[in-house]
Order: sequence, then structure tokens, then C-alpha cells
Amino acid sequence: MSHAESDPASETAPDTKQGVGARMLRKEDDRFMRGRGQYVADIRLAGLQDVAFVRSPLAHARIKAIHVPERYRDVVFTAADLDGIKPIRAVSGLPGFKISEQPILATGKVRHVGELVAMCVAPTRAEAEDIAASVTLDLEELPAIHDMLAARDPGAALVHEHWGDNVFLESSFEVDITKAFDAPIKVTRELSTARQCMSPLEGRGVIATFDHRLDQLTLYTGSQMPHIVRNGLSDCMGVDQGQIRIVSPDIGGGFGHKGILLPEEVCLSWLALRKGYVARWIEDRREHLIASANCREHHYKITVYADRDGRLRGIDCEATVDSGAYSSYPFSACLEAAQVASILPGPYVMPAYRCRTFSAATNKCPILPYRGVARTGVCFALEIMLDAVAVAAGIEPGEVRLRNLIQPDQMPFDNITKKHFDSGDYPEAMNRALAAIDIPSVRSRQRAKEPDGRLIGVGLSIYCEQAAHGTSVYAGWGIPMVPGHEQATARMTPDGGLELRVGVHSHGQGLETTLAQVAYEILGIETKLIRVVHGDTAMTPYSTGTWGSRSMVMAGGAVATACIEIAERAKKIGAKLLQLDPAIVTLRDGRVCGPNSSIALAEIAHTWYRRPQDLPADVDPAGLESTTGYKPQRDSGTFSYAAHAVTVAVDPDLGEVEILDYVIVEDGGVLVNPMIVDGQIYGGLAQGIGTALYEEMPFDSAGQPLATTLADYLLPGPAEVPEPRLDHMETPSPYTMFGVKGVGEGGAIAPPAAITNAVNDALRPLGVELLHSPISPRRIVEAMLAARDAERSAA
Amino acid sequence: MKAAAFAYERPTDLNTALALIAKADGTTKIIAGGQSLGPMLNLRLVEPDTIIDISGLAELKRAERDGDELVIGACVTHGDVEDGRIPDVTRGAMQRVASAIAYRAVRNRGTIGGSLSHADPAADWVSSLSGLGARITLRSAAGVRNLPIENFITGALESALQPGEIVEAVRVPVMTPSAHWGYVKACRKIGEFAHAIAAVLIDPERATARVVLGALETAPIVLSDASALFGGRVTGDFKQHFDARVADAILIKAGVANAVDRHIHVAVLRRAINEAAA
Amino acid sequence: MIGLTVNTRPVKASVEPRTHLADFLRDNLNLTGTHLGCEHGVCGACTLLLDDMPARSCITYAVACDGARVTTIEGLDNDEIATELRAAFTREHALQCGYCTPGMLIAARDIVLRLPTSDEHSVRVGMSGNLCRCTGYVGIVRAVRTVIDQRRERGITPIPGGGRQALGPAGSGNATNPVVSETTARAAAKTETPDQISVAMAIPNFTPAKVFEDQFTVAFPPAKVFDMLGDVAQVAACLPGTSLIGTPTPERVEGMIRVKLGPISANFRGAARIERVPEDLTGRIVGMGSDQRSRSSTQGEIRYRLVPIEQGAATRVELSIGYSLKGMLAQIARDGLVRDLAARLTADFARNLDRHLSGVPVDGAADGSQDLNGVSLLIGLLRRRVQETIRRIWGR
Repeated sequence: MSHAESDPASETAPDTKQGVGARMLRKEDDRFMRGRGQYVADIRLAGLQDVAFVRSPLAHARIKAIHVPERYRDVVFTAADLDGIKPIRAVSGLPGFKISEQPILATGKVRHVGELVAMCVAPTRAEAEDIAASVTLDLEELPAIHDMLAARDPGAALVHEHWGDNVFLESSFEVDITKAFDAPIKVTRELSTARQCMSPLEGRGVIATFDHRLDQLTLYTGSQMPHIVRNGLSDCMGVDQGQIRIVSPDIGGGFGHKGILLPEEVCLSWLALRKGYVARWIEDRREHLIASANCREHHYKITVYADRDGRLRGIDCEATVDSGAYSSYPFSACLEAAQVASILPGPYVMPAYRCRTFSAATNKCPILPYRGVARTGVCFALEIMLDAVAVAAGIEPGEVRLRNLIQPDQMPFDNITKKHFDSGDYPEAMNRALAAIDIPSVRSRQRAKEPDGRLIGVGLSIYCEQAAHGTSVYAGWGIPMVPGHEQATARMTPDGGLELRVGVHSHGQGLETTLAQVAYEILGIETKLIRVVHGDTAMTPYSTGTWGSRSMVMAGGAVATACIEIAERAKKIGAKLLQLDPAIVTLRDGRVCGPNSSIALAEIAHTWYRRPQDLPADVDPAGLESTTGYKPQRDSGTFSYAAHAVTVAVDPDLGEVEILDYVIVEDGGVLVNPMIVDGQIYGGLAQGIGTALYEEMPFDSAGQPLATTLADYLLPGPAEVPEPRLDHMETPSPYTMFGVKGVGEGGAIAPPAAITNAVNDALRPLGVELLHSPISPRRIVEAMLAARDAERSAA
Repeated sequence: MKAAAFAYERPTDLNTALALIAKADGTTKIIAGGQSLGPMLNLRLVEPDTIIDISGLAELKRAERDGDELVIGACVTHGDVEDGRIPDVTRGAMQRVASAIAYRAVRNRGTIGGSLSHADPAADWVSSLSGLGARITLRSAAGVRNLPIENFITGALESALQPGEIVEAVRVPVMTPSAHWGYVKACRKIGEFAHAIAAVLIDPERATARVVLGALETAPIVLSDASALFGGRVTGDFKQHFDARVADAILIKAGVANAVDRHIHVAVLRRAINEAAA
Repeated sequence: MIGLTVNTRPVKASVEPRTHLADFLRDNLNLTGTHLGCEHGVCGACTLLLDDMPARSCITYAVACDGARVTTIEGLDNDEIATELRAAFTREHALQCGYCTPGMLIAARDIVLRLPTSDEHSVRVGMSGNLCRCTGYVGIVRAVRTVIDQRRERGITPIPGGGRQALGPAGSGNATNPVVSETTARAAAKTETPDQISVAMAIPNFTPAKVFEDQFTVAFPPAKVFDMLGDVAQVAACLPGTSLIGTPTPERVEGMIRVKLGPISANFRGAARIERVPEDLTGRIVGMGSDQRSRSSTQGEIRYRLVPIEQGAATRVELSIGYSLKGMLAQIARDGLVRDLAARLTADFARNLDRHLSGVPVDGAADGSQDLNGVSLLIGLLRRRVQETIRRIWGR
């Protein structure tokens, strides 16, 4: 592995190196920059018909009748038509878990606005929408549960009547909490994060067609996990998996939104399989915002106990997550809440801990794990509490963190919830961030006051991101998807090129480049000769897909393992051709080398495929194609982490927040392509800024979603997101190939906490503390006016 | 979402257009750049039977001086103003307003007349042209009339446009050399609709002050004599004399009950005054 | 039939007026590089060049571009600036999933053409009409700035206004032929009018989402006002846009209210239950209605109490008004009832009531012909919510 060293002088410039650690430009860029990417909506099939759905206008209602005009009876389908189709069941074996059955088309009741009621087929989407508009719904409205805390009240209306309450799952974790109760510092807060929409620029999209020659349904769908979609679809349709092929072409961003089986996918499959349609549905922005899935809505009641020096004595928390009406397939319902209980302690050491969690069912669409999953909410809650402790203890927030972080000499470290931290130096990351943001200069600037009257604040946050966690972590959940060994196929082509086939999906992460870098690292085949095939169940090995920042660790490891296998085989063949003992040959720069002679892999491939007559009779017949499985030495996950530090200026008149400086010190283990990792962090930061300051899907008391266009649901644009300063540490994971760690989500985890802490730091002199994200200008003004009024009435 | 079906008519001269519009019933809509109507059509919030496209009418795409006024045709775009394709009589004020409307790609099609016809209280031209003391020219097959902008906007999405009438032009008075202009809007992000707008036109030499508080829930508050905001007299140091309590009282009187809303509007006004004084 | 020049090639096609330019290019010409991200003009993914100016193809109808020059991303393969931008985009990792990229490059090309310098703030503001969910804009901004710098260093001067001379919407004014549709031509494709479902027999009580209080006075004694409020047909006459269905009883009324909200119009059909307590001079009206077209429904409750003033010569009508709104019209608006609206609405109703009691004809006759300036209390509330929404997107 001779290509790993990187030249520090060229760290920011693209380089011509190609292996692990190279800042290599992306192979996939050109097609996208010429408008030749192929997304679902770009696929053209003969006889294509468009589908529009009739969706529920109400959050909770009984369906009394669906009136379809006589002339459209043949092209409008309701639940009554879906013979033999089973509802989506995304279950968990956790004790006490209550199962929601998500109907493909609503039966009996509708449980959230936007739920599918009927589908309409027409030659164009516009005509399909005309037909949908002609269908009338006779609905008997039921009381809607729009608030997750009210959902838990006894006597609340029931989303699923037979449950008896509205709690998917209650879970708890407790260690010695009573021992913390005598701590001298005790701070209690109630915090919450808004419901959000993941908002990839491309929505969902599905095309279904039946291939009679192959006796196979082909479903083109923008999915992060095509193999999992096939599992779920097979269950719902009652069709053999061999009869289903899932193709996931280019995807315009995932972020978790494209990680579930959609009822729409089942609907269109039914149209193709049972009705012979070539059917297409392309999600529009309103559908995306209202109907398919939201994310992030958490509520915390937390008490933190600490000694006078800020050392943590314990954390006591009750957390509720608004899970929406259904558990999405493969699993969503209590994923976030139950994770809260295990990850709330973050990278901190504490002797006592208690967390009770509730996954509440409400009359809203399901929430899905979005970039960072539960960590963004947890980091928000915990890091704001750490600042509250700092204030109570009268010490700098940075110091409080340094006194409580896991120390490098403790690694690997099992924390209070038995999370196994693989490696890292958290205090170093925090110290670098503190130095970069220059706390003393911010403090003196605060004392000096700004000439424009704005208030300056500095905020910190630090988190850990468990990634690529596998079988041992998920086995206990008893859910439909448990990751095992990740497989990859490596196949040399007769001309010396290489094809890599992986079951994960690349939709922005640049895997077509980075997996090629991994293969180059092992085989020395030029990356321009390496093609990565993904997004097709017919062409790739089984995989749970792309989620949980796992692809580089898992698929990268699998590609490396498969390439090592190819290397071994090629070496054997090469040694034969060089007439050398296989034990003495090595593979270097794409050549099998003996002491005085060498042969190119391309020539070995050419001989193997095209001139087998030149091979000795006793050659190893395994050939130059291998599918191999991979798991890290431990599958408890890699722990990447970062310290974020930000200074802000807050306008005390209008509550506007300007980010003046943003520093990120990130440790993502060994980086395969630093340019791409930087891109992930930049993109994550932008989404984190959205969470902190802009994005919110409010609901009214009837469960009506109120931000149903991009004019209401505000996504940060170029002028709202600054360029941060990045600093990398590269502590290898002891357990993974090359020491890589998962880093895809981290950028989105820390910003809401850091920015809110900074705004609170700025406004502390006014007696303002913000605890609910997003901290919109209006929320800030309201808080400032309330604090002013309180001060006046006290005076 | 795709628009419901509509019939489309594209007259090639103003008189034909006016004749068509005169015959139109309530289910006919007029489109120019379509940057306001387009989204509503796509969302099926509006389902007209017929759309009459006036974007091709040369009569509505001109700008010329007429005495102390600049007459700007209704189909002149925000981008035309931004890029200086029309004469400047406001010492850059309109250009700055135009360049901050929505986004460049929208400004290249969105028109000044379309925006005013839409009568959205949060729209930039509604408040800024009121601040500049502009008038609007309305034409129908029957004739023509002029109104001050503030009399044209009668409420949220409500205007004085009568059936058969279209906005033909906007008449903007030449700004005096001694006038000070300030225009500020509060948005959470660039291109977002405004939560509060303030426009001020102050001429200390003439001791006049014109102030608009816009992006309210209804038509903007237009104070053609805003001297009360400055202690009753408009002087060169007007900034120092700004009395926020008077502004607050004006908002209360206008029915802005929420204290946070008033706080935001007053803060935006203060900024506009500071800008005018700078 | 329209004629366009698309990527320098002349194209003739017949197109439905409702087809927007992006769909036309994608579906008729298979130019799928123009992406749709929102279809309401916010995200910028569909941005292309129309008469060489960047424009939103999702809210521009193809028919309105007759004669125009259209350039999509596919037409910029050999464009000098686009080539430089592509090199810079890949070098700066300015794209990940690639979905925003075509629109981003078109917007960037315009900035490169026009901006005198690569000032970061100007570049960011200039690019603000294009959303990217992947990159955090870091690479995009760097790439655009680099290309501007390089071109200015090479002595290439900025072109103010992108070189456009003509006034008016980009893409307009190229057609020389008028289009006059025949009224029969459109009818076939027109949206089907939904079948009306029957009005609910029972009108349930409900808990309003919003409640506010208001009051007004009329110059008539309480008893007369109370009588008038008991006459459903007369009350309806004070609500412009209202038409009654069937014959109302003192306890129940069915009808329609047509409301016009700027360009939006909705027909709420529904029923109301009326309760009156003559001893207290109080009453309550509970109603519900729905607009099938927008799949929106509303419930409302008005409680009134008549208080004699001026020695019984006049009446103060005290109102408590509650309502809930559901469906599309609720979803596209934010919360936001304002006191001044209530005051205005109440004043309008009071004026009509006063006129009615005085025998002066009321503007809004009960025949439904008058639907401007809807003055009905509940419907006015609805209007307010929709108004707030509309301005959010299309207040331009």
C-alpha cells in the first residue's frame, strides 16, 4: 500500500495521486455538469403513464366514501382495488413496541395530511392531476393529535385505536442516578427542536414496468437502499424477490429521505404487475414537504448535575420524539427516541445517568432518520445544558467541556451507556477549536461593545458520531434490516480495467471516485480505468445500502477485500507467467513484480480472458472476479467527532444573526479523499445552519402542515451560509480497513447547538436564553422583549 | 403540480388587448411575466379559463420622461430597472429596490405592472413607489385614469383595478437633489418576502418627509407628511429627532396589535431613516 | 403551434398552454438537463437562458416564449464561460448530487458575465436564487469567484445587464402572430368539476383553532337587531357572495359563499345551525363548509350578544368568533389572524347590517352575483390566511 502518503504542501490543491488520501477530482462530475445525469424523472420508457395521487386533506378522519366520477372508474384506484397487497409493517422486537400498519392506500381512516387515498393514471401528470381533482372524499373528521406531549396524555385521541395509547415505545436507561442528586449544581431546562423536512433538491420518483421476458418487475426508484426496497416490496406484494429488480439511478440528494419503502412504490408496482401499466410518479415539492416524511422533532426535559468545578455528576432526562403516524420500512418509529437514551451522554464521562424516552404517535407523516439521526437533537440539548452548567459554575464553556471529555489515554473507551469509542483525542479537538476561534479576543470584543450596537457571542459544541455500526448493534432491535457483512464484487476486464459492484448507493458522496481510489490503493489500476457499478439489484451484491455514514467504511472495506483477493489471484497467475514462485512476487504500481522481471495486471487479465492457452495447466481457476464480504474487526462502529466553534453577531432590534466566524476541527479517521470529506462537512454545516436558524415545518392544532412550499420552508441559500475554517485530525480507527471512519453526517450535528450557544452567549446580558430551534429572528425578538418586560416588572 | 388547463390569448397591440379584457369574465386572468401568477397556477390555487398574455405589447414596454415624471410601462421588468435599461430619475433608488426583488432569474421576467396589479402588501414596489410619491396609470377600453399608488392598493391583494382595466404605466416623479432616500426590508433570507418594509423620502430643504410602513397585513401606511415622526419639523438632523414612540402609536392606531410586530416595523423604520441620513 | 430556437436549433411544436417551458423541453425535446425542484420558482434548479437571460422555466409557460431563444445546459457544451465554470466546479468540488448543478451553472454564467469583481458578498447574493442542499455553497462560490478573477485578469470586461437591450420579460415579444383561442378549444381539457357531495346533515360542535372577540354598534334598538339576526335570508344578504340553497329554517341554513381573494376564488358550500336565546338577546351560529376544488374545509362559530346602549335606542353587538380551517388553503398559509382584520370585517358587516335595518340596499345581494371584497366574517378570515401565503411566494 504505497500510495497512502499525502504531501502536506498540496493538501488543498487537487493532486494527481489516486490512492487513499488523495485529494482526487471526482469521476462523476462531468455528466452532471453537462446535464447528462440520469435521475428517475429523466428515464423515458415507451407507453409511460403518469400517476397523481389523491391525498388526505385532513390529519385524522374516517373515510366514509370516495366518489370517483363514472368516466374515470378505470383509471382511478383505491384501497379496495389493491387485492392481495399487504400494508407496510416496520416492526421492532423491542419489548413493548406497538406495531403500526401503514396502508398502501388508506383504508378506514386517514392518519395524516397527505396520506394516499387514491391513485389516478393518465398520459400526463397534468391530466392525472385533473382526474385527481375530480375525485371527492367524504371524510368524517376525528380529533387530531398534533402535539407529541399531548399525545402521551391519558384520554388523548388515538392514532391507532387498538393500541390504547399513542406511544410506539417507551424505553429507559439508568445508572446510579440517585447518587447525583446531592450535586451542588443542578440545572434544569426544557428544550425542543422543530419538525423539519430533509429537502433534497430532487424529490422521490418511481417508474414501474414489467418485463415479460425476464418475468420481472423493474422498479426505477431514487433509493439509498435498493436491496432493502426489494425486501419490503416483496413482502407487501407477495412476489418472489427474483421477480423484482430495483434500479436506483442518479439521485438528487438523499440525507435519509430516500431510505424507506414508500407506499407509492408499492402502488406503482401494483399498477405494473397487475394492470400492465408502465407507470411513473414524480414527487412534487408540496408532496415532499407534506406527505412522505419529516424529521428531527424532539423534546427534552433535562436536569444536569455537576460539581462546582463543572465536572458532571449525572444527567437525568426525559425525551419525547414525535414519530408521526406510522413506522416507515425498514424502520423508523422509535429509532430516534431509543437512540437518544444511548447517545445522550455524548463524548463526556459521567458517573450517573438516567434517560426515559417516548416515541409518540401523532397525526403527522412519519419522521425518518435525517443526516445525524438523533444526534443533532441530542447535541442541541446536551451542549446547551453544558453552557448552562458553565454559567452556573462561573467558568468558561470550553473549560467545562475539557473537564468532562473522554481523555485520549482512556481510548478505547466504553462509556456509561456501553458505547465503545474506538479512538480519538477529543480534548485536542476542543483545544484546537478554542484556539482557532480565539476566545480571549471574542471576550474583549464583547467588553468593548460593537460600534453598530450588535451583540457578539461565541458558542461551542462537540459531538461524536457513531458510524458504520453493524450486526451487534442492530441485532437487539429486532427490526427488518440488520446489517451484516458488506459485500463487493471486483472484476477485472480483459483490457486491464476494473469493475467494482457495490450494493450501497452514491448520491453525492462521490463513491464512484473514492471506491476507485480504494481499488487503486490495492491494485494500482489507474482510477480512470475503474468503474463503480451501483444502484441495481440485478448487478450488485446484497447490501443494506447507504445510511449511517457507513458506505466508506463498509463498502470501502469490501472493495479493498475483494481487490486484495484479486491481487492474490493475479499474483499467482503473474508468477506462473513470470515462471517465479508466487511467494516471492509482489504487486506494485499495477504490476506483478519478481526480483528481476514484472508483468502488468493488464497483461495478466488479457492472458486470463483472451489467451487461456498461454496459462499453465495448474493455474488457480478462480479467475479475476471476486465477491467478498467484509466486516470491521469490531462492528460497534467508528466514532468520528468534531468540535465546532462559532462567533455570531446578533442584531438586538430585529434578532438577525450573522455568523462571523465558524471553525470546525474534525477527526474522521483516515480520509480516503480529503476534498470529498471537506465537501461533506461543508454541506452538513449548511444543513445544520438550516436547522439552527431557518427550517421549520409547523402544524396547526388540526394537524395541518403549514410550510408547504419553499417560500415557507426556508432552505439556506448561498448568502446564508458562510465558508467555515476546517482543521482535520486523522486518528485512525483501530478496527477498519485503512483506519477510515464514517463522516457523512457529522457536519449537520453540531451547528444548531454551537450557534444557539453563541446567540445565548451574546444575549446573556439581556437575560435571554433560547432553547427551541430554529432560533428565528422572531423568536429572538420575542425572547428579548419578554426579558425586557420581565426586567421592567421586576424593577 | 401542474396547472389546470386554460385557454391562452396573445393580442399583439394594446387596443386589441383592452377589447379582449373588456369582454373577459371573472375567470380570465392577465399574465405578463408570470412570476406571481405562475406559481399559483402550478399549485392550482388559481384555475382561470383563459389567460391573456400582455407581455408582448410594445406599448407597455417603454420608459420615457414626461415633464417631471418618468413614465414606466407596466411590462418593464425589475431586471430592466436593475440593469439601468430605463432612465434613472430617483438617483439610483429604484435600481437598488429592483435589484433586491426575489432573484435575478425572477427579475428577468417579473414586471413592475404585474407586481402592482397583484397588490401584495409585502411586494417591494407597493411600498417603495408609494414612498417615491409615484402614480399609476390605469387603462381600459373606456379610457384612462391616474391614481397615487397609495390609493391604488386598497388592501392585501386588493386594488382599485376595475373589471376591464389594466395597469398601463407607473409615473415616478423626479427626485429632488436635496432629497434623502431610505429603503429597508426585513427578510429572513435573500429573496424571501418581507416581514416589514420601510421607505422614507426626506427633503430637509423643503422640510418634507414622506414615510411608508409596509409589509403589514394590509395596505401600507403612507404618511405623506411624516413630520410628526421627527418632532413636528423636518430638518437636516432628522435622524436625531426620530421618535419611535410616535411610530409605535401610528402602528397601534393602524391596528397592529402585536407588540413584537410593532417592534420589528419600528426597527426597520429606524434603519431606513438611518440609511436616508447616511 | 409555437416556434422556438432551442440550443440554436429551430423547433416547432404544438403545446398545451398550461405546459411550462421546463416540461416542454424535458418531455417534447428530451432535454432532461433542466431539472424541476419546486415548480414554484424558488429553488432555481430549472433556470435556463431565455433570450440569453437566466429565467425560471417552471413558471414560464412554453406558449409565452413563442419565437424566443432558449439555451439549456445541454446547449452550453462548447460555451466558453460554461467550460471555464465546469473546470472550476470540478476543481472546487462545487457539486455533489448534481441535481442543482445545471441551474447553478446557468446562474453562475450570468454572474461571471456581469459582475465587475469577484467580491464574495456580491457573488453569494447573485447566486441566491439557486439552492444547493449538498455543498454548503463553499465550492460553488469559490469556483465562480475564480472564473471571474481569471477572466478579469485576462482583460475581459464585465457586460452590464448581460448585454440585453430590450425592455420587458425575457423571452417575450418575439412572436409576431396573435393567438386567439376559440372558447370551445379549451373546454375538453378543462379540469373536471368535482361532483358535489351532500352537505352533512348534522353540524357538530367543535373547538375552534382560533377565537377572537369583536364588537360593533348599530343605531337600532336591540329587539329590532335581534329580529333581523333571526332572519337568515336577511343576514345572508349582508354577506356579499352568499347564496342560499333551499329554504332556510330558523334553525338551519344551507348555502354557498363565493370568495375572491386576489386571483384565487373558492366556493364554500355548507350549512349552519342557528341557536337563539331571546331572553338574553344572545345567539350562536355554528357552520361548516367545504370547497371541493381546493380540498379545503372550514368550521366556524359566531356567538353574539346584544347589549342596549344609548338608552336602548342603539345596540352594541358583541361577538366571539371562532374558526378552524383545513386542507390546502390552510396548508399554504401561516397562522396569523390580526385584530385589524377582525375590526375591518366586523365594520363591514355592521355597515351592511345598519343599511339593511335602515332600508338601504346592501351591496352584496343574496343572489351570489357579488363576490368581490368578500365581507363575510368567516370567509374573511379564510381570505386572510390565503393572502398571507400568496405573498410568501409570489409577492414580486
